[in-house]
Amino acid sequence: MEVKILSEKFDIENAHLLEVAKKHGAYSTLDKLFAMEPAAVTEEVKKSGLRGRGGAGFPAGVKWGFLPKDTGKPTYLAVNSDESEPATFKDRYILVRDPHMLLEGIIICCWAIGCNDVYIYIRGEYTTQVKVLQQAIDEAYAAGYLGDKVAGQDFRVDVTVHRGAGAYVCGEETALLESIEGKKGQPRSKPPFPAVEGLYSSPTIINNVQTIASLPFILTNGHEAYTAYGTEKSPGTHLFGISGHVEKPGMYELPLGLPLMEVIDKVAGGVWKGRKLKGVIPGGSSTPVLTVEEAKTVTLDYESMAAHKTMFGSGGIVVLDETVDCVKLVENLINFYHHESCGQCTPCREGLGWMKKITKKLLAGQGTLADVDLLRELCDNIEMKTVCVLSAACTMPVRSYLDKFRHEFEAYAIDNVSADAKLQGN
Amino acid sequence: MAEMVKLFVNGEEVEVESGKNLIDAIGAVGIEIPHLCYHPALGADGNCRMCLVGIEDGRPPVVPACKTPAREGMRVQLDTDNIKKIQRDIMEFELINHPVDCPICDQAGECKLQDYYMAHDLQDSRMRVPQVTKGKKMDFGCGVVHDQERCVVCGRCVRFTRQITKTGELGIINRTDAARVNIFPGRPLNNRYALNIVDLCPVGAMTSRDFRFKQRVWFLKKDKGICHGCARGCNIFIDHNREKYKDDVIYRYRPRLNSLVNGYFMCDEGRLSYKEENENRLTATMIEGKETSFEDGIQRIQQELNQAKKPLMLISPNSTLEQQWAVKRIATLYGARCSGYSEGYVKAGDGDDFLICDDKSANRRGLQLLDIDCERTTLEQALGECDLFISFDNDPFRFGNNEELRNAIAAKRVIAISSHENTMTEISKVALPVASYSEYDGTIVNINNVLQSFTRAVRKNEERIDILEVTRLLGGAVRDNAHAWPGMKTTVEELAEVHPDRIPAEGLQLSVSEESHVSA
Repeated sequence: MEVKILSEKFDIENAHLLEVAKKHGAYSTLDKLFAMEPAAVTEEVKKSGLRGRGGAGFPAGVKWGFLPKDTGKPTYLAVNSDESEPATFKDRYILVRDPHMLLEGIIICCWAIGCNDVYIYIRGEYTTQVKVLQQAIDEAYAAGYLGDKVAGQDFRVDVTVHRGAGAYVCGEETALLESIEGKKGQPRSKPPFPAVEGLYSSPTIINNVQTIASLPFILTNGHEAYTAYGTEKSPGTHLFGISGHVEKPGMYELPLGLPLMEVIDKVAGGVWKGRKLKGVIPGGSSTPVLTVEEAKTVTLDYESMAAHKTMFGSGGIVVLDETVDCVKLVENLINFYHHESCGQCTPCREGLGWMKKITKKLLAGQGTLADVDLLRELCDNIEMKTVCVLSAACTMPVRSYLDKFRHEFEAYAIDNVSADAKLQGN
Repeated sequence: MAEMVKLFVNGEEVEVESGKNLIDAIGAVGIEIPHLCYHPALGADGNCRMCLVGIEDGRPPVVPACKTPAREGMRVQLDTDNIKKIQRDIMEFELINHPVDCPICDQAGECKLQDYYMAHDLQDSRMRVPQVTKGKKMDFGCGVVHDQERCVVCGRCVRFTRQITKTGELGIINRTDAARVNIFPGRPLNNRYALNIVDLCPVGAMTSRDFRFKQRVWFLKKDKGICHGCARGCNIFIDHNREKYKDDVIYRYRPRLNSLVNGYFMCDEGRLSYKEENENRLTATMIEGKETSFEDGIQRIQQELNQAKKPLMLISPNSTLEQQWAVKRIATLYGARCSGYSEGYVKAGDGDDFLICDDKSANRRGLQLLDIDCERTTLEQALGECDLFISFDNDPFRFGNNEELRNAIAAKRVIAISSHENTMTEISKVALPVASYSEYDGTIVNINNVLQSFTRAVRKNEERIDILEVTRLLGGAVRDNAHAWPGMKTTVEELAEVHPDRIPAEGLQLSVSEESHVSA
């Protein structure tokens, strides 16, 4: 099932070094690229159906098309490497194992959208990744792939690495821009959208690392080679991070559209220790959980996930076995999103803390059924009332656990036994 | 004239100004959209989420009204169940960690949380878990006291120090429900407009050290007035109260919107100048150090005037046009010279490029319009020749003493008609108390030639008459304010077209034919 498109060079030793990467084809698309009109490059990307790999799945070529023409301002590209969604660990592989694929993708994107200044926003905790990436950038500058004359062409691309300071919300594209501008990382109200008014009030494209890294393959092999993988509406491949209660957790590149259970069983070795499956988080912690029944029918693509009222997300699959306590899981989730709320909008700032305390109260064996109802209601009261979707990233999954595993919450409220006491009782 | 558009609010067609955001546009026709973080002087931030409204045109379900410009044909929904529920939910979130300490909160009575609770919430608390605790009674400097627990983190105060004063002392530190407004350690508020933060704060998080715990605001009478702290003439509310068995006392000034003069703000110095209306007032008529009746005082002044061969009258740059005119007229009657000399009211270099002026008097333009000589040399010459010196509430030593001038004046027979005890009353043979500006009506002209009228706010237990009335008692021809106008209109070109009873609320911009720069 596994394919090697993005991960082609992942297993090659020292592929992060320019010398090695070049031997295996890095920067080989540039001759073809500079022979093409920028609009033709965008068209090729549109035809490939490449969708944003940050989680939202918006078609990349279409996004580029939103850039206004002749604004008299520079156009910026911000590459989102803030990969902070719990259970997501794909971009880090690209950054460490094949950074030149990303840089080549950046050059392709810059040519297509007429951009000279690129920021790679990388999460602060990625210390190794930053080191390797910066080394690759330095090598690319020295070799003339970046700088005033990219590959000898009269085309400038400058890449700046901007390290985050540990805020999940800075993965939200406008908070990311604020952070690059040196401000507190808080999402902006939209409109205006970044394509029109982004970094330093100039037109800006923000793409995920994996999105940009997919470009060299598409340009080298043509869009048909890319659409040969995946489904009609979700073409191509994706780096899936499979974690949780499986025998073989890890990062796997797979074409989109595979049945989820098949991937869990055949790729990840099935649920560990011979235990039963309880549910699956399909694409990072913010995506609503799937029950066993739902997991059996869903396929790994945007459409099937939407049909199952969840999201494809970032490809971070978490397998939950029968021992998982959903209330504790929810507490863990809310803890994270509460901690990461930027504190700007009232519902998210005040509401997530409230939800967290209610959940803690349930876990302490002090909750009531009214608390369960309140928790469920708060999900609705908070969601979509805020500037960004961070609050929804918390309430959507929490709602799914409350709706699909409500009996576990009610058990705490009715039995009034704390989670600790339960553990000891077992 | 701004372009008008027709749109629908709750299905009703209204005509509003195009391009303004929905809060302002719809607010102008009397429909309020609740909001906490938006303020017209500070722009839209969009963080409180209280102004979320529905727009029926396929856009996302709800939008913040503060960030949505009014457009033709827009269908705005404020009364749907969904919007009402959102407003109730946002209020619930605002209040779960709020101390609800209204009984001891100075904002009570003019608090947006209280107002919106009554208008949009009215539900019992469902908070059954411990609240977030934060800092209390924090000294932010400049007389601003902060309560983090009452704060709704709307950021108005932060934006004020960044956008208006450009001093940036405040910031919101931390994230999530630990987000709070604070100063940098050891770097308190340090600007001359800081107390505006107290007005801007929609809740009780920012209070004024000066006003804290002095009065419940619902007991205060809120009368319109004009600050006499400098030549700007900022529009204010004079908040005053007569407690049982006590006198009518002013407790605070607050800025009142006037886009022609001061916008939404006023300086701290002017704001605190209310104290001068309460304190250090001249209360008794004094003749040669002995307290006497007001009538005796008037009689004595009359005698002095009749006996004097060369009286000199000093007119105040703080007096109204009407008062200045009346004094000028009575000077003519008694063959007196008159002067508007008032360098003592000027603090050179004290002004800034916002509201504060060097000139600390409210109506110097009035002296200029009425062609009253303000030169020092003229005064000194007249002083040398005069045998009676009457000051009509002008204190030449207001900001700093001038030994030479003081001695020159003190050498004469001095009559001080004064609202306050000051150097002039000290050196006077006769001191006669009169009303101060919060106690009379009148018209003044500010530094930018804006003519503004104001009316009496305070009624003291012992009422004092104003200067115009004093001139009448001394035989002057001007009966009252209205009676001053026909004369002024025929004499002063700039006032010829003014109808004193039809001065717009924002004031009247006088067209001054030539810049008549008369120095103080």
